[in-house]
Amino acid sequence: MELHPILQEFLDTWVYPTGFSGPGYDFRMHITERCIPAWNGMTMSAVKAAQEDAKTPTREWLWSSVLAGYAGEGPQMSIKQMSTQLLSVSLEDQERYIDLQRMRAQQVWDEVKHGMLHADVMLRGGYVKREEELMDSADANTLGILSYFGCTAMFPHIHPLARAAQHYFFEGSACLGIQVRMRYMNDPLDLHDNLSQYVDELMHFMEGKYQMDVYALTEKDQRAIEDTLDFLLKPWAPTLADALARAKQGAAA
Amino acid sequence: MNTQPEKIAIRIDHDKCTECRMCYVVCREINLNAVVIDPGPKHLHEIDMDRCTYPGCTVCLMYCPAPASIVETVSGLSLVPPPARVWTEDKRWPRRAPRTGN
Repeated sequence: MELHPILQEFLDTWVYPTGFSGPGYDFRMHITERCIPAWNGMTMSAVKAAQEDAKTPTREWLWSSVLAGYAGEGPQMSIKQMSTQLLSVSLEDQERYIDLQRMRAQQVWDEVKHGMLHADVMLRGGYVKREEELMDSADANTLGILSYFGCTAMFPHIHPLARAAQHYFFEGSACLGIQVRMRYMNDPLDLHDNLSQYVDELMHFMEGKYQMDVYALTEKDQRAIEDTLDFLLKPWAPTLADALARAKQGAAA
Repeated sequence: MNTQPEKIAIRIDHDKCTECRMCYVVCREINLNAVVIDPGPKHLHEIDMDRCTYPGCTVCLMYCPAPASIVETVSGLSLVPPPARVWTEDKRWPRRAPRTGN
């Protein structure tokens, strides 16, 4: 498989350098092999979309893009997602996973910061006068992708490491998408949006990387991460609408 | 013959650092505890060079997501993302057991 140069650069810069060796690292390399085809496809699609958008960047496009970002990372969604993550570690396991809990606690703040950065773009672009206006918009507070944070807050896998796959796969995708937009788009507000988000996204990716390298040492722990990735990579229901339609079909049959 | 790597000081560039604490977490994981929190009003992260073993250990560089936030003090060399010379197999921690036999 020929890798897109943006993906290759990301792998060489942020994926392969690691401070740990042993079963966790070996397992993460296996997980990386599973992620690479999806990352590569996603990078190429993002390039295509960015090239199209660069021809006719419109305010409508930027609005929907930033709104989707806010819906995924605004305060409402962020607090829900992250508090669920904190609760996935039982009291008796807290000592074992204290680093993981610390990072998740910090991530509550990081995620809300994502929302603030998106709101900043909407304010600068004159889309809203006050962030509070977004509270009245359903589009600013819901996201219809099944495997994204909002719905995975209800994802029933209770293993403390299940989220490592989500951090690694999704946040890696986010980093790649941002890199693509920064290289192919010239809109200053879009650039501001992406630049401001990038380091936070990379932080979340690093958390997934660290969790696997350090904690995913046994077959049981690794299985939990593998299961999560199975779910995230499932092609059968890319959006909530698709899933609901399928459910209705099933009920009618 | 002294095989210890030469001691080179590193520091955190607070203009680039996002205070995400990955360096603190990973350094504590390997029990070096060389990343400390400054008790001053901002509680910034700092590197205690009495404990830090760089360039023997480079674990903080491998998980820091903020480009250019850790630098060599004298050379000014940016260590994030880690330059290729610091992330080769033998730099990983904990060290792999040396291969024996054939």
